[in-house]
Amino acid sequence: MNSKNIVEIKHLNFSYPDGTVALNDTSLALEEGSITALIGQNGCGKSTLSKLMNGILKPTSGSIMVGDLDVSAGCSVKDLVLNIGYVFQNPDHQLFNASVYDEIAYAPRNVGLSEEEVDARVHEAADIAGVSESLFKESPMLVSRGIRQRIAIASILSLKPKLIIVDEPTTGQDRQQSLEIMEFLKNLNEKTGHTILIITHEMNIVAQFANRIIVMKKGSILMNGTPSEVFSQPERLMEGFVKPPLVTRLAQTIDPTGTHSGVINFDELIKAVA
Amino acid sequence: MNAIEIHDLYWKYDGSDKPIFDGLNLTIPAGIFCGIIGSNESGKTTLVECMKGLIPNSMTGVYRGEVKLFGQDVAGEDKNGLPQLAGMVFSDPDAQFTTMSVIEEIAFGLENMGFLEDEIGRRIEWVSQLCHLEGLLEKPPYDLSGGQKQRVAIASVLATKPRAIILDEPTSMLDPKSKDEVFDILRSIKEDLHMTVIVVEHNIEKIAELADEVVLMGGGRVLRHEKTPQFFQAIELLQANSIDVPETIRLEYFLYNKLGIDRIAPVHFDAAVDEIKSLLPRLTGKSVTEAIESMTAGRA
Repeated sequence: MNSKNIVEIKHLNFSYPDGTVALNDTSLALEEGSITALIGQNGCGKSTLSKLMNGILKPTSGSIMVGDLDVSAGCSVKDLVLNIGYVFQNPDHQLFNASVYDEIAYAPRNVGLSEEEVDARVHEAADIAGVSESLFKESPMLVSRGIRQRIAIASILSLKPKLIIVDEPTTGQDRQQSLEIMEFLKNLNEKTGHTILIITHEMNIVAQFANRIIVMKKGSILMNGTPSEVFSQPERLMEGFVKPPLVTRLAQTIDPTGTHSGVINFDELIKAVA
Repeated sequence: MNAIEIHDLYWKYDGSDKPIFDGLNLTIPAGIFCGIIGSNESGKTTLVECMKGLIPNSMTGVYRGEVKLFGQDVAGEDKNGLPQLAGMVFSDPDAQFTTMSVIEEIAFGLENMGFLEDEIGRRIEWVSQLCHLEGLLEKPPYDLSGGQKQRVAIASVLATKPRAIILDEPTSMLDPKSKDEVFDILRSIKEDLHMTVIVVEHNIEKIAELADEVVLMGGGRVLRHEKTPQFFQAIELLQANSIDVPETIRLEYFLYNKLGIDRIAPVHFDAAVDEIKSLLPRLTGKSVTEAIESMTAGRA
């Protein structure tokens, strides 16, 4: 493995039992400490890929390495959860303990850490995720959705995984809530160096927060590059039924040459015309 | 004729300390496409539940004031006619499916309303064309994609030919392609059927394209209600309320401000692009090409 990469996927194939080919000779790498967005229309293979990376599914062929862990070879649940955390789209799908403390402590206890170590990790994870200790005795079901999402993330962080996969973190959120969640993930990435893979349909979020974008189409990688590189190729993007953010489409439409199309946020647009 | 008339509405859920609405007034004319936007918990969903009469008829709480749907008081004695006045589509279509096939799903409301078989058949054919459901009629709704499910939910409502269709975040759970498909159907409902469309939506770009009027909700109050171009003049108010104002409109007002122009900006994408193209050379003294090249210079 390249020393900069935390994830390396090579020639990955996966078919469901009914014969549906979900992934077709997919290869990609995630650089350590990066924020990568995985995009593409529903059915393109995003969820299958994330389930394979998380060990929930076993590949038909090919390899998945996360750090030194060979996920594709089949490994223990303990090894998986210590390396890869998965935050569900809906926090209610992963919260089930009676108190916030027990929720965050659940996974470290399950992997056999001492109660002293568990306690240290709960406090550390809650602190990073912005979950106040005053909530430790509360039920995770009785706090706001934003806090529930933070608790879900804290319960993943308490295992200190190398890679965190976040599935559609901004669905159903308004703009302010979406920005808060993404700022939080960005701070987490900067503070702790966690590698983050975000599955999303929100192109504005992708343009603003991702270092890298992987576009999938019919089980294959269609594009892989920086937001500016990816969004500056609207025709290729449309092959994957993905539209660049409005600001990029605006720049591309008012640019009669069609050659300067890498604007990805409003500040760039304004700075240029001012 | 107004589709919606709300006068001095007060509503507080049982068990809640404070009311959702206290003195809310709103009028939406019949035959228009009205977008309702606002941050989460601003009162949007509760508002459309009041319009449809779900509040107070199916929920318990303290209700005062008046909500009229095409002139009929939704809390009045006669509630039988309400379903034919307005149909409702929710964000999660699974929440409203009750049958085992698409064709049964569409027929369900019609059968309940007592239509004869011939008429039911004609209406199913009509809505399945309108909502592009040909080939899916025999499938179980639960096996469809998210976008297909939402089209079935819309078709089931349209089949009853209500005077208004009210949709609560109909695209929030869909991928971009499915979102576009749903918005294309809403465009057809507006342009071809001239039906009243009231939609709660976070996708402001689509609201700017499709809506005739827009309502901004915040803290249980109507903070702004204008025809769409005028509505987007209040950029600061919208941004303060977590509204993602489309960059086309933001750039137009930025340019107006720089050039000392006082007018209402076009909100449709093509018209906004034409407007921006006409203003850029005035701002920079350069040709459009030069102005854009300078915008993107220095980027890898």
